[in-house]
Amino acid sequence: MDDLDLRHHVYTATVESGRPPLSGDVAAALGVSRTEVLDGFQRLRARRLLYLAPDTGEVVMAPPFAAAPTAFLVAARGRTYFANCVWDAYGIAAALGSDAAIEASCGCCGEPMALAVEGGRSAATPGVAHFAVPAAHWWDDLPYT
Amino acid sequence: MLVFRSEEHVDRWCAVRGLPRRPVVTLDQLWQLAVAWYSNRLTPEARRPMGAEVREIFQRLGLTDPFWDT
Repeated sequence: MDDLDLRHHVYTATVESGRPPLSGDVAAALGVSRTEVLDGFQRLRARRLLYLAPDTGEVVMAPPFAAAPTAFLVAARGRTYFANCVWDAYGIAAALGSDAAIEASCGCCGEPMALAVEGGRSAATPGVAHFAVPAAHWWDDLPYT
Repeated sequence: MLVFRSEEHVDRWCAVRGLPRRPVVTLDQLWQLAVAWYSNRLTPEARRPMGAEVREIFQRLGLTDPFWDT
Protein backbone atom coordinates (compact mmCIF):
# COMPACT_ATOMS: atom_id res chain seq x y z
CA MET A 1 0.00 0.00 0.00
CA ASP A 2 1.55 3.27 -1.14
CA ASP A 3 1.35 6.04 1.45
CA LEU A 4 0.09 8.61 -1.03
CA ASP A 5 -2.60 6.20 -2.22
CA LEU A 6 -3.61 5.87 1.42
CA ARG A 7 -3.65 9.63 1.82
CA HIS A 8 -5.75 10.03 -1.31
CA HIS A 9 -8.22 7.41 -0.07
CA VAL A 10 -8.57 9.24 3.25
CA TYR A 11 -9.44 12.46 1.43
CA THR A 12 -11.81 10.80 -1.02
CA ALA A 13 -13.66 9.10 1.84
CA THR A 14 -13.73 12.37 3.77
CA VAL A 15 -15.34 14.24 0.91
CA GLU A 16 -17.93 11.48 0.47
CA SER A 17 -18.87 11.04 4.11
CA GLY A 18 -18.12 14.45 5.60
CA ARG A 19 -15.54 13.17 8.11
CA PRO A 20 -12.10 11.53 7.88
CA PRO A 21 -12.54 7.73 8.02
CA LEU A 22 -11.53 5.38 10.81
CA SER A 23 -8.63 3.01 10.23
CA GLY A 24 -10.91 -0.04 10.22
CA ASP A 25 -13.03 1.41 7.43
CA VAL A 26 -9.93 2.29 5.42
CA ALA A 27 -8.54 -1.22 5.91
CA ALA A 28 -11.77 -2.78 4.68
CA ALA A 29 -11.95 -0.48 1.67
CA LEU A 30 -8.34 -1.07 0.63
CA GLY A 31 -8.19 -4.76 1.50
CA VAL A 32 -5.28 -4.42 3.93
CA SER A 33 -4.92 -4.91 7.67
CA ARG A 34 -5.83 -2.22 10.17
CA THR A 35 -2.26 -2.34 11.46
CA GLU A 36 -0.96 -1.50 8.01
CA VAL A 37 -3.34 1.44 7.82
CA LEU A 38 -2.37 2.74 11.26
CA ASP A 39 1.32 2.42 10.36
CA GLY A 40 0.62 4.33 7.16
CA PHE A 41 -1.19 7.04 9.11
CA GLN A 42 1.92 7.43 11.28
CA ARG A 43 4.16 7.86 8.25
CA LEU A 44 1.78 10.46 6.82
CA ARG A 45 1.80 12.22 10.19
CA ALA A 46 5.59 12.33 10.07
CA ARG A 47 5.29 14.06 6.69
CA ARG A 48 2.75 16.49 8.18
CA LEU A 49 0.01 15.32 5.83
CA LEU A 50 -2.33 14.06 8.57
CA TYR A 51 -2.71 14.84 12.28
CA LEU A 52 -3.51 11.89 14.54
CA ALA A 53 -4.98 11.25 17.96
CA PRO A 54 -2.00 10.41 20.18
CA ASP A 55 -3.80 7.58 21.98
CA THR A 56 -5.56 5.78 19.12
CA GLY A 57 -3.60 6.81 16.04
CA GLU A 58 -6.84 7.64 14.24
CA VAL A 59 -7.08 10.70 12.00
CA VAL A 60 -8.06 13.85 13.88
CA MET A 61 -7.30 16.24 11.04
CA ALA A 62 -6.95 15.66 7.34
CA PRO A 63 -6.30 19.34 6.72
CA PRO A 64 -8.50 21.24 6.10
CA PHE A 65 -11.08 18.68 7.30
CA ALA A 66 -11.68 17.89 10.98
CA ALA A 67 -12.85 14.53 12.31
CA ALA A 68 -14.73 15.94 15.31
CA PRO A 69 -17.20 18.81 15.53
CA THR A 70 -15.58 22.24 15.74
CA ALA A 71 -16.75 25.85 15.84
CA PHE A 72 -16.39 26.07 12.05
CA LEU A 73 -19.15 24.34 10.08
CA VAL A 74 -18.91 24.41 6.31
CA ALA A 75 -21.84 23.62 4.00
CA ALA A 76 -20.75 22.82 0.45
CA ARG A 77 -21.87 20.52 -2.33
CA GLY A 78 -24.96 19.53 -0.35
CA ARG A 79 -22.95 18.24 2.61
CA THR A 80 -21.55 19.66 5.82
CA TYR A 81 -17.95 19.47 7.00
CA PHE A 82 -16.16 20.62 10.11
CA ALA A 83 -13.02 22.69 9.65
CA ASN A 84 -10.09 22.91 12.05
CA CYS A 85 -10.03 26.71 12.01
CA VAL A 86 -11.29 29.62 9.94
CA TRP A 87 -8.42 29.24 7.45
CA ASP A 88 -9.39 25.60 6.99
CA ALA A 89 -13.06 26.57 6.65
CA TYR A 90 -12.12 28.56 3.57
CA GLY A 91 -9.75 25.72 2.70
CA ILE A 92 -12.61 23.24 2.42
CA ALA A 93 -14.27 25.48 -0.15
CA ALA A 94 -10.94 25.81 -1.97
CA ALA A 95 -10.29 22.05 -1.91
CA LEU A 96 -13.78 21.25 -3.17
CA GLY A 97 -13.70 24.07 -5.74
CA SER A 98 -17.15 24.94 -4.52
CA ASP A 99 -19.27 27.71 -3.16
CA ALA A 100 -19.66 27.36 0.59
CA ALA A 101 -21.54 28.77 3.53
CA ILE A 102 -19.47 28.89 6.70
CA GLU A 103 -20.93 29.14 10.19
CA ALA A 104 -18.39 30.70 12.51
CA SER A 105 -18.39 32.98 15.52
CA CYS A 106 -16.25 35.80 16.83
CA GLY A 107 -13.42 34.43 18.95
CA CYS A 108 -13.89 37.30 21.39
CA CYS A 109 -17.61 37.81 21.91
CA GLY A 110 -19.09 34.68 20.36
CA GLU A 111 -21.33 36.65 18.01
CA PRO A 112 -22.24 34.44 15.02
CA MET A 113 -20.40 35.26 11.79
CA ALA A 114 -21.76 34.01 8.48
CA LEU A 115 -18.90 33.71 5.99
CA ALA A 116 -19.25 32.56 2.43
CA VAL A 117 -17.44 31.68 -0.75
CA GLU A 118 -19.33 32.53 -3.91
CA GLY A 119 -18.10 32.16 -7.47
CA GLY A 120 -14.51 31.59 -6.46
CA ARG A 121 -14.32 34.61 -4.18
CA SER A 122 -14.83 35.22 -0.49
CA ALA A 123 -17.98 37.16 0.20
CA ALA A 124 -17.34 40.63 1.58
CA THR A 125 -17.87 40.16 5.31
CA PRO A 126 -16.45 42.38 8.04
CA GLY A 127 -13.86 40.57 10.09
CA VAL A 128 -10.24 39.58 10.48
CA ALA A 129 -8.36 36.41 11.32
CA HIS A 130 -5.73 36.36 14.06
CA PHE A 131 -2.83 33.92 13.98
CA ALA A 132 -1.76 33.25 17.55
CA VAL A 133 1.29 31.13 16.64
CA PRO A 134 4.23 32.16 14.40
CA ALA A 135 4.34 30.27 11.11
CA ALA A 136 7.51 28.35 12.00
CA HIS A 137 5.71 26.72 14.94
CA TRP A 138 2.30 25.87 13.47
CA TRP A 139 2.89 22.11 13.64
CA ASP A 140 4.38 22.17 17.17
CA ASP A 141 0.83 21.99 18.57
CA LEU A 142 -1.50 21.93 15.61
CA PRO A 143 -4.80 21.82 17.54
CA TYR A 144 -3.81 25.01 19.39
CA THR A 145 -2.58 26.67 16.21
CA MET B 1 -6.45 30.56 14.32
CA LEU B 2 -9.67 32.37 15.12
CA VAL B 3 -11.91 34.83 13.34
CA PHE B 4 -13.00 38.10 14.94
CA ARG B 5 -15.57 40.71 14.06
CA SER B 6 -12.93 43.46 14.12
CA GLU B 7 -9.39 44.28 15.22
CA GLU B 8 -10.83 45.76 18.42
CA HIS B 9 -12.18 42.32 19.27
CA VAL B 10 -8.74 40.83 18.63
CA ASP B 11 -7.20 43.40 20.99
CA ARG B 12 -9.75 42.61 23.70
CA TRP B 13 -9.33 38.84 23.32
CA CYS B 14 -5.53 39.09 23.60
CA ALA B 15 -5.68 41.49 26.55
CA VAL B 16 -8.10 39.37 28.57
CA ARG B 17 -5.94 36.27 28.08
CA GLY B 18 -2.58 37.98 28.46
CA LEU B 19 -1.58 36.75 25.03
CA PRO B 20 0.62 38.67 22.59
CA ARG B 21 -1.14 40.51 19.79
CA ARG B 22 -0.05 38.82 16.57
CA PRO B 23 -0.61 39.85 12.94
CA VAL B 24 -4.12 39.75 11.54
CA VAL B 25 -5.17 39.08 7.98
CA THR B 26 -8.28 40.19 6.16
CA LEU B 27 -10.82 37.56 5.24
CA ASP B 28 -9.99 38.07 1.57
CA GLN B 29 -6.29 37.44 2.32
CA LEU B 30 -7.31 34.35 4.26
CA TRP B 31 -9.38 33.06 1.33
CA GLN B 32 -6.43 33.56 -1.01
CA LEU B 33 -4.19 31.79 1.49
CA ALA B 34 -6.68 28.90 1.57
CA VAL B 35 -6.69 28.67 -2.22
CA ALA B 36 -2.89 28.63 -2.33
CA TRP B 37 -2.69 26.01 0.41
CA TYR B 38 -5.57 23.68 -0.32
CA SER B 39 -6.85 23.98 -3.89
CA ASN B 40 -5.06 20.80 -5.02
CA ARG B 41 -5.51 18.90 -1.76
CA LEU B 42 -7.94 16.34 -3.17
CA THR B 43 -5.74 15.29 -6.07
CA PRO B 44 -3.64 12.10 -5.87
CA GLU B 45 -0.40 14.08 -6.13
CA ALA B 46 -1.41 16.67 -3.52
CA ARG B 47 1.14 17.94 -1.04
CA ARG B 48 1.62 20.77 1.39
CA PRO B 49 3.39 23.90 0.15
CA MET B 50 6.90 23.93 1.57
CA GLY B 51 10.01 26.10 1.83
CA ALA B 52 10.40 28.69 -0.90
CA GLU B 53 6.87 28.03 -2.12
CA VAL B 54 5.46 29.04 1.27
CA ARG B 55 7.59 32.18 1.36
CA GLU B 56 6.39 33.09 -2.14
CA ILE B 57 2.75 32.66 -1.11
CA PHE B 58 3.17 34.86 1.96
CA GLN B 59 5.03 37.55 0.03
CA ARG B 60 2.42 37.56 -2.74
CA LEU B 61 -0.26 38.23 -0.11
CA GLY B 62 1.77 40.96 1.55
CA LEU B 63 2.58 38.88 4.63
CA THR B 64 6.18 39.96 5.10
CA ASP B 65 6.47 40.35 8.88
CA PRO B 66 9.08 38.01 10.49
CA PHE B 67 6.07 36.31 12.08
CA TRP B 68 5.55 34.56 8.72
CA ASP B 69 9.11 33.22 8.46
CA THR B 70 9.16 29.46 8.23
